[in-house]
Order: sequence, then C-alpha cells, then structure tokens
Amino acid sequence: MNEINEKSELRKIRIQSIKRNFNLFKQSKIGILGLVIVFIFGFLALLQPFLFMTNIWDEATYHPVVGYDSQKILATVVSCKDIEYPTPEYKTPSDCPAADEVNIVAVAPYNPGIKEGDVIEQFIQPAPPSSKHILGTDSLGRDVFSQLMEGSQVAFVLGLLSAIVGVGISTLLGTIAAYFGGTVDAYLMRQSDLVLMLPTLPLLFIISAFAELKVWHLALVLGIFGGLGGSVITIKSQALQVKVKPFVDSARITGGSRMKILTSHILPNVAPLALLYMVFSVTGAIASESILSFLGLLNIDMSWGLMISVAQADGYINQGMEYWWLVIPAGLAVTLLAGGFYLVGRGLDDVFNPRLRRR
Amino acid sequence: MVVVFFLFLIISYLLFDAIPGNAFQNLLLNPSLPPYAYEETIALYGLDQPLSVRLQKYIVNFFKGDLGYSYIQFPKTAIELIGERLPRTLMLFSVVNILAFYTGFFVGKVLAWRRGSKSETWITITSVFSYTVFYPWFALLMLWFFGLKMGWVPIGKFLTPNKWYDSPFDSDEVFLEMIKYMVIFSLIYFVISILTKEIESLTQRRNIRLGSFFGLIVISNFYWNTGVLSDMRFYAGDIAYHTILPVLTVTVVAFAGTALLTRTTMMEVLKDDYILTARAKGLSQKRIRDRHAARTALLPVVTSFIFTIVTIIDGSVLTETIFSWPGMGQLILDSVLREDIPVAMATFSFIGVFALIAHFLADVSYAFLDPRIRIKSQG
Amino acid sequence: MFSIQGLEEDNMSVVLDVKNLSMHYETLAGNVSAVKDISFSINSGESFGLVGESGCGKTSVAMTLLQLQPENSVITEGSIKLEGKELVGLSEDELRKVRWDSISIVFQGAMNAWNPVIKIGEQIREALREHYPDNSKQTNIQKIQELFKMVGLDDTVADRYPHELSGGMKQRAVIALALSCDPKIIIADEPTTALDVVIQDQILNEIKKVQELLGLSLIYISHDIAVIAEMTDKIAVMYAGSIVEMGPTKKIFENPVHSYTRALLDSTPSIRGEKKKLKSLDGEPPSLINKIDGCSFAPRCPDKETRCNPNEHMRLVEIATDHFVDICSQGKE
Repeated sequence: MNEINEKSELRKIRIQSIKRNFNLFKQSKIGILGLVIVFIFGFLALLQPFLFMTNIWDEATYHPVVGYDSQKILATVVSCKDIEYPTPEYKTPSDCPAADEVNIVAVAPYNPGIKEGDVIEQFIQPAPPSSKHILGTDSLGRDVFSQLMEGSQVAFVLGLLSAIVGVGISTLLGTIAAYFGGTVDAYLMRQSDLVLMLPTLPLLFIISAFAELKVWHLALVLGIFGGLGGSVITIKSQALQVKVKPFVDSARITGGSRMKILTSHILPNVAPLALLYMVFSVTGAIASESILSFLGLLNIDMSWGLMISVAQADGYINQGMEYWWLVIPAGLAVTLLAGGFYLVGRGLDDVFNPRLRRR
Repeated sequence: MVVVFFLFLIISYLLFDAIPGNAFQNLLLNPSLPPYAYEETIALYGLDQPLSVRLQKYIVNFFKGDLGYSYIQFPKTAIELIGERLPRTLMLFSVVNILAFYTGFFVGKVLAWRRGSKSETWITITSVFSYTVFYPWFALLMLWFFGLKMGWVPIGKFLTPNKWYDSPFDSDEVFLEMIKYMVIFSLIYFVISILTKEIESLTQRRNIRLGSFFGLIVISNFYWNTGVLSDMRFYAGDIAYHTILPVLTVTVVAFAGTALLTRTTMMEVLKDDYILTARAKGLSQKRIRDRHAARTALLPVVTSFIFTIVTIIDGSVLTETIFSWPGMGQLILDSVLREDIPVAMATFSFIGVFALIAHFLADVSYAFLDPRIRIKSQG
Repeated sequence: MFSIQGLEEDNMSVVLDVKNLSMHYETLAGNVSAVKDISFSINSGESFGLVGESGCGKTSVAMTLLQLQPENSVITEGSIKLEGKELVGLSEDELRKVRWDSISIVFQGAMNAWNPVIKIGEQIREALREHYPDNSKQTNIQKIQELFKMVGLDDTVADRYPHELSGGMKQRAVIALALSCDPKIIIADEPTTALDVVIQDQILNEIKKVQELLGLSLIYISHDIAVIAEMTDKIAVMYAGSIVEMGPTKKIFENPVHSYTRALLDSTPSIRGEKKKLKSLDGEPPSLINKIDGCSFAPRCPDKETRCNPNEHMRLVEIATDHFVDICSQGKE
C-alpha cells in the first residue's frame, strides 16, 4: 500500500517536472516551430502505412515505387506551325500547344484520320496535382505525395538511428575520457582529431565504391563517424565540469564504485547535452542521406534526395516552376525537416542552457 | 597533430588499397595507358610487394610529391592535376568564406543583440532554413532562376570557351594572378587596420579606414592596367563573371552557419558582467555590441571559420559538380567514381595537409585574438 | 555658531533624491517585487549605507539608480532625481550621458567587471572618450595616470590585460574607472565580496580616502553591518524589498529601534563593548513573489507578540530627527 503510494507520488513529481520543463520550452518560439514541423513530418511518415492498411489507398495506384496511375484529359487537337509569333492564341512558340491542347503532329501517327478541332483523350505524365493525387504524379505515373511520405519514413529512421548510435558512442567515450584521463583521454582525443580530419563526402564515396550502401549501413557509418568526432570533445569537457563537482567527491568518499559514479552521477549530468547533440546530429544525417541519394550513391528505392535526382535527370528542374510538384516538395521537405530538428535543438539550447537563458 | 597527420596518410592509403579485387593493379590495365606507365606505376607504388613496403613507399612518395600518373588523364600526374585544380577551388572558396564570415558575423551579432524581438525570431528561422537547405536542390534552383530564367549569369563552367579561343594566356596563369591580387589587397588593408588602431577619435578612425579601402580600389584599377595585366584584365573579368553565381549560392548557405554560431556565443557573452560595466560607463549600444560583446564572441567563431578550410575540398564537391566548376571537388568525385586511384588517393591525402594548415592557423589566430592565451604560450 | 551651520546647510545640497520607488521583476512564476516603496536622499559629500541580507533588493536598488535593471523589470512608481534631473523614463541615449558622468558604480566581483580581451587602460579611456570626446589621447592617458596614483596603482597597469592583475589590483582599477569621469556620486555594490580580509580593508580605506578627497557622495551597499558602520554617515536597513529603518549611522547603532535592525546587530560581533552571545535569526526571508500584507518581517520577528503591530501597512515614520522606522515595529507603545 505504502509502496504504491510512493510510486504514484513519484510519478506525479515526474509529470510535474515534465510539465514545468515543457512550459519553459514553450518560451522559445523557434523551438515550438521546430517541434511542429517535426510532428507534421512524423505524422506524414505514419500516415502512409495507415492508408495502405486500411485500403483507403490501393497499392497499385499509390505505391511510391511501383504504383502507377495515369491521368486522362480531354485535349483539343491543334496544329502548331512555324509561323510568326505572337499569334492571336499564343504569345510564344512554347505556348503551343497549351495545357488542354495537343499538337496534331504528335498524335496523328496513332490516330489516323484525326483533324484539327477534334477532342481526344490524352494521358499525361507527369500529371499536375489533382484531387486524386494531391501532389501530382512523376514521369513514371507514381504518386508524388506517397513518395514524399515514404521519404519522410526514410529520413526519420536514418536520422534517429544515426543520432542514437552517434550520441551513444560519443557519450560513452566522452565520459570515459573525462573520468579516466591520462593515456585513455589522450588516445581518444587524437582519435577524434583524426576523424574530424576525414572528409565526410569523399569518404562516403569511397565506402559506396566498396559495397552497396543501404540506408541502415549509412545510418551506422554516419553514427559512428559523428560519434567519434567533435562531439566526444564537447561531451568530455562537460563531463570534466561534472567530475569536479562536490557531489561526485562525496559519492567517492562514501565508497561509490567507479562504475556507480560514472553511471549514476556523471552520465545523468551529461545526458542533457548529449540529447542536444542528438537533435543536432539528426539534421546532419538527413542532409547526408539526401546528398548521397541525390548523387545516386545509395542503394535505396525512394527518398527525397532520389526524387530530386530523378527530377534533375529528366530535366524538370531546368523547366523551373512548370513542373513545380516534382521540384519543390522533395527539396523543401529535406530543408524543412532538417531545419525542424535544428530549431528544436536551438530552442532547447536557448532555454535550458544556463549560459544562454535570458533570465 | 603531426602524428595524427601520419595516421591520416596511412588510413587514406589503406582505404584505397583495400578496395576489393586488387583494383589498384587491375585498373592499370586500362588500354589508354601505355605499357611504360604500367611499369612505372607498379614500381612507384611497389604494387608487387607486401603491404608494409607499399605503405612505406606511399608515404615517402607523398613527401617527395610524386604520386604517379593519372589513370584517366594519362600524361598528367596526380600532383599536376592537383596543382591545376587547387587554385580554382581556393579562389572560389576564399571569396565565399570571407563574404560568408563577414555577413554571418554581422547578422549573428545583430540577432543576439535583438534577442526576443520579432525580427530576431524571423531572421533566426530564416537563417536556420538557409543553413539546413538541401544544398544541391537549392543550387539547381538558383542556377535555373538566375541562369536560365533571368539569364543574368552564365550557367556553369568557369570561363566562356569562345572568348578564350585565341587567348594568349593559360587560364591557370590568370587564376594565379587573381589570387595574388586578392592576397596583396587584403594584406594591405589588414596592415592599414592595424596601423589605424591607435587613432583616438572613433569617427576619424572609421573614415580613414573607409577612405583607404576606396583608395585601394582606385589603386587596383591602375594595377590591372599595367603591363601584361592590362591584357589579362579581359580574361580575369570573364572568370570573375562566372564566379558570381557559385559565390552567391554558397554564401547564402555558408553565412547562416556563422550567423547561428555567432548568435549563440554572443548570447553567452552578453550575460557577462563586463557588458553591464560597459553599459554603466555610458557607452553607445553599437559600441558595446561591436567592441565588447562581439570582440569576445569572435574567438570561437574565428576558430570554426578557420576549420572550414578543412572542409573546403569536402564542401566543394557538390558546388563544383552542379556549377561544373573544374576544381578539387570535381577532381575527387571524378577520380573516385571512375576509379582513378592515384588521383583519388592524392586528393584525399591532400585534405590532411589542409587540416594541418588549419590547425596551425587556428593556434596562431587564437593567440593573436585572445590575450589570455598569448601569455600562456609565452611563459 | 549659527552662521557656520547655515553655511554647511547650503553646501549640503541634495544630490540624489529617491521617492516612493517600487520595482518588480516579471518572471514565469509571477511578479517578484524587489523594491517596495523606497525613499531616501543623499547630500553631496555624504556617504549612505544600504544594508540587508542577500536577496533583500539592495542590488536591485543600485541597478535601478543607474537605470541598468534587467529587461524584465518594471518600475511601477516613484522617481529618482539626480541633481534635480528625473532619471525614470529617460531614453537610453539620454541615460548614457548621465551614467558615469554624474553617477558611477563599483560592481560586486571586480573579476568579471573587466572585458578579458581589452587592456585596462583602453577600457578606462573608452569611458573618457565617450564623455569627453574632445580630449586628446595625451590628456586621457595623463588622467588615467592620475587616477592610478590616487588608488595606489602604478602606470604600467594601464597596458596590462585584466587577467594579469591580482584581485585587489583589479578592484583598485575598478575604482579608478569609476572615478574617471568625475562623477558626483559613486555606488559601491559589495565591492569587497570576493577579496580576502587584508585586501578588503585596503580597498575600503581607499574608497573612504578617495571619497573624502574628492568630496563625492557614496552609496555603500553591503550585507556586513560592521563595514557599513565604518564607512557611512547614514544608513538604511532593508528587509524584503523595503527600508525598515533609516537614520544617521551613529543613532542607529546606539539606539536600534526595529527588531530586524537589532537582530542584525546582535548577530555581528563587536570588538569594543561588553562581550555578549551572538544571536542568530531563525527562518528565511519571505519569497518576494507573494504579496505580503502587513509587516513582512513578522514571521521571524522575536518581538511580534510583545511590542510590534504586525498588521499595520508598512511605512516609515520619523521617531526622532532624521531617524525613520517602520511603523509596524511600534504599534503597541
């Protein structure tokens, strides 16, 4: 009975402390904005499997990689000749045929007997946004919105996995370096100097030359390199500050073992900084993944970087806003999600870092 | 640091040596290479010998500056290729970094100063997104907008081939001349700023600096009119014209990093007591911001700025690919993708040299900027 | 006799006049009233002590006098008149002219008062440049040398960085800095907190000497009533944001009226006079977030049952010439 009371009491205190911290966090407008962005993308990532499972979307039409849907429109057959522009209908040669028209030269071979002024059914790919495909389809007739959702799953999995791996490594090594000092410390510091020296992108190129990179490979590689690099140094300096605090001394005097001191005194005090690093490193991981898949060095079916890569290869980017649904959403998604995580980190730092707090 | 550098060399060798299928040797069988190149490369790298010897040979070769032929651009050696590409990358990125540093530092310090205001929130959010923008996408859009839609700037390449058709100069000569000019210009201005430091009146100090800046621009006009340079001017102008868009694009991304870092360090500094002292002294807001807060906040920002040197080659990969700027970044990407191992290895190892230089510069500048360290290093 | 007194009266013009000053900080937890309805005035050449426990609002008063309070503070009412000029509500630019020129401050913790990357001399010259823009460099350097001589530093200090000086030297330099623009009044906010006892005494003597030499007014803020006794002509005892007793130092030490003043004196050892057991006060000062009705000292007051009137709204009443005491402490007499 007493124990249960104690437990519920403890839970109450925890909930209260979370509430208080959240109220503090609410002060930071940029942090809240970041959180909202991250939640929106998280929602998108989870929404897609839900739509497939409940059969609201059928896979044949909406699958991001193998789905296909074509959009039919009724087009008027016109003939675009080499005449002087502007004409009454068109301003420049590129305006003919207009969106709901088709050049007779393009359709005549398949439709014998067709003449100007006829109205025929036309398939268009990539199709512009419609009620069925919110963000249109790409050049292969695949739903862009579904691709975007798939991409956010990839981004979340990769970002979080590599951040957790990275922060795990750097927290462990950082506290060890701080606590043991001496040779261990010197070795770990040289090691992170070395890792900092390695150029990320060329290195990833070389690794991708070794073997086909899958997403979780990349997550591990990014995590390991992130974890061995500069963050070890930062976490170490934080751990050093904690190490000289009186409560660590008193734990030592009262006979706490090294392990116990490390895990129950130093680690909890390093954790907030580690968490902050985690949030920031998600940003970097998302960017790296997108760049690699943009350059075609990642073995992946669908991701935001790949969407841009395809749009570029097919020449849609050079046509600018005409095919905006192929160009804008994916790039914006990378920017926004990476920025969202960064904003959350910035917000946390601004509010909880005592050296930055306003009051 | 030197030890780390050696480790770096070893790792960069082992990485390439470990590429499966004995690629190093096999690729030598490339038909575009004459047999003597095959012999020479085997001998140079000791490819028929055990790993320890190979490694040793590589390191010795690296310091001798002899890393063999390129597999793909055959008569050229790896070092020659680097010598050709490096100035181009350096020029582009030194301009970008200097621009990004100044704008970023300025924006960051204003942000920290206006903390909590509406404009601060908005500018911070903009900077964050410009920092995390998906870079290749952004660069392609910039290219599309300014190059294709507006037609203001050339798309890609670092020169207009037509204009250079009967040029008496090699593009590299012009590049070197431009870099020389930029270095001289900034050195003179740096000396002027140091000399004017002792002037008591603040407005006078500022006026002299501004005046000498414009004076220098006038003098450079004459400078580019002398001797060979007057012929070279036209070609230098062409190169400069091609740098506009890449510089603009990279600056937008790079300035944001500096701005955000400055904002954080400056916010920390603003809590220090001497800021209160400065306010109590009745100094103007601008003076407190620039002289007291920004001066101290400068230290970490400068360090991180100097370490961007390490990432110049790394960061140039995407920029140079998208703007087809034939520099180190393209070289490293090409050589890795087309398995031109000697060149890839050389560029990779070269990054280590950059890192060494950066560490050295960071130490020097820190000692210069922070009197607390100056004393320590003396004693 | 009369005429002399009259003359003195004329010289003793009021430099700083604070009336009904109230200020609170807006925090997440609520409003913290740090300064509640405080009034005092200081004549030229007079030294005024402000004493009280940590967190009682002493430093807030000092900051408000210079209008250097943090952003989240609000002055709800009251006026601060410096040489007849109202400071509350002045713009930052107007305030800049007043600061250092008429009123300067020696902060607690001189260690952090100096910018670590700028030379001491330059930091003083900066203030001179701001307030005397026409001075030549030579004049400014001469002025700094004079100031250093006055506070017992040698000239070379000007060319050194803050981290090259000892704590005591830094504090002397801070005093030189405070004097640099010939202010009428100096606020010394616990200037000796971080120093060891010997240096503390030197610094105190330095301040006293300089103050008498230049005929400055001084506001000395401390939690140490013994130091205050040594330094000041007039003191105000602060508790929880209000002044509970104010008057000439001598009178208050001879005849402390408010229970808090007595408690403060009882907790301080005295070298002269009879030996007595030091008494300490139970409890803690009240949180300033909650609004307190009646006497804020009542919960800790040893006399609340006997002679006090804790329900009275706190305000000062004059019980003897120049001797003001909070009304709560004399309800039942």
